[in-house]
Amino acid sequence: MSPNTLRAWERRFGYPHPQRSPGKHRLYTHGEVAALRDALQEGLSISSAVSRAREALTADTNSLVSAIAGFELERADAAMEAALALRSVERSVEEVLLPSLHEIGDRHGFDSAPWAFAARWAGGWLQRAQRLAPAPQRPGAILIGDATRDELDAEALSMHALELFCLRAGARVLPLPVLGVAGLGDVVSAFGPNAVVIAGRHAQDDEVARWAYTVRSVAGPLPMALFLRSREARRTMASGTRSLADSPGDAQRQVLALAETHHATVGAERVAAFPARDSLRRAAARRTMSA
Amino acid sequence: MNAAHLKLVSAPDPGRRQRAHFCGHCGAPPITLPAPRVCNRCGLGLVLEADAELAPAPGAAFLTVDRALTVCGMSGAAESLLHITEVDAVDRPLAEFLISADGGGSAHSLVALILGATSGAQDGEVAIVRPPDEFGVRYRVRIGACGPPQAALLVFDP
Repeated sequence: MSPNTLRAWERRFGYPHPQRSPGKHRLYTHGEVAALRDALQEGLSISSAVSRAREALTADTNSLVSAIAGFELERADAAMEAALALRSVERSVEEVLLPSLHEIGDRHGFDSAPWAFAARWAGGWLQRAQRLAPAPQRPGAILIGDATRDELDAEALSMHALELFCLRAGARVLPLPVLGVAGLGDVVSAFGPNAVVIAGRHAQDDEVARWAYTVRSVAGPLPMALFLRSREARRTMASGTRSLADSPGDAQRQVLALAETHHATVGAERVAAFPARDSLRRAAARRTMSA
Repeated sequence: MNAAHLKLVSAPDPGRRQRAHFCGHCGAPPITLPAPRVCNRCGLGLVLEADAELAPAPGAAFLTVDRALTVCGMSGAAESLLHITEVDAVDRPLAEFLISADGGGSAHSLVALILGATSGAQDGEVAIVRPPDEFGVRYRVRIGACGPPQAALLVFDP
């Protein structure tokens, strides 16, 4: 099948729905392609095959919802394993874990015991996935201001998903609660962030503003962004604060771009401010190489 | 040494009908044989097989319907004719788009013809149909079997 055919299907049917690499290349998941290949053998049209393929992909979500609704942790882990066999970690989280959790919340309420059970399991799963993330290899460092209520806040899961995606992309990430301002300057100074994300809408605007002011007073004018926080909150923040997409995957790409742009700008300003020192360093390096 | 043994085979059927391949979207035959699964002309339809006399001409309007009487596919010309896209029509009952317009008013005749085609019992039958919410519009359709998988093909006569 030619790439043009897949692109034509994406335009006409909205499927497959590839993610993009940093170089803007389309990235298809094995699950999407395998589901479509099987459906093409059984369907009478591309539309019906796409419909079947979509149903096949939602089977993992149904399986996870069923496991969590039955309070079966092992089966929930197995459902995520099955999802990971066909998708990347990012897509498994966005297409299976988060939708399943929202369905549990919608069914029982976000203050119910089944929700608490589901949220604790999902939080644990995301933490385990974070421990398997590769060592930082990107220049950008991202400071996340946690403005969620607690671990049972529905937005906390999306925030942890964003944290996981940034870690897996090779960035350094540090989440800190926005209510903790004492000693914040020391931590920020040591961490050296290139972008700040305020995630969640539970904390009050003045609490967030105080935290953001402390961060900026130590680290300078950093790019700031809001994740899952109302757009009205931007009024209380410094000008230039932007809202990230609600999807953790899209938000990750946006915040990494912010951090890397800031990192490159700071690097260029440093060279411009100390050109003599930079040329001396290069000359010393040349001497070392010739010796 | 074993003697060559004879095997009884059926005689070639002189009345056997010719089969034809066509794209489920553009109606054109595939460029190459054996036929690929996806049309290598437009890339938007699966290649299906039907009796050569029933198979649509390139650019013709036609539908494919399964034995549950739901629409499974629709050519580009049928989309224009019925004012609906294939994406919206698929998995919906055929009766939302076409009903029998026989003089006798027998809705069962259309259903019977489609079910006969999906089982392979009937081929090349003709029916008169109309959109359910329009009067004065009639279409003549030829109904037969197509696949794979086995389904009914409704070709609108020009």
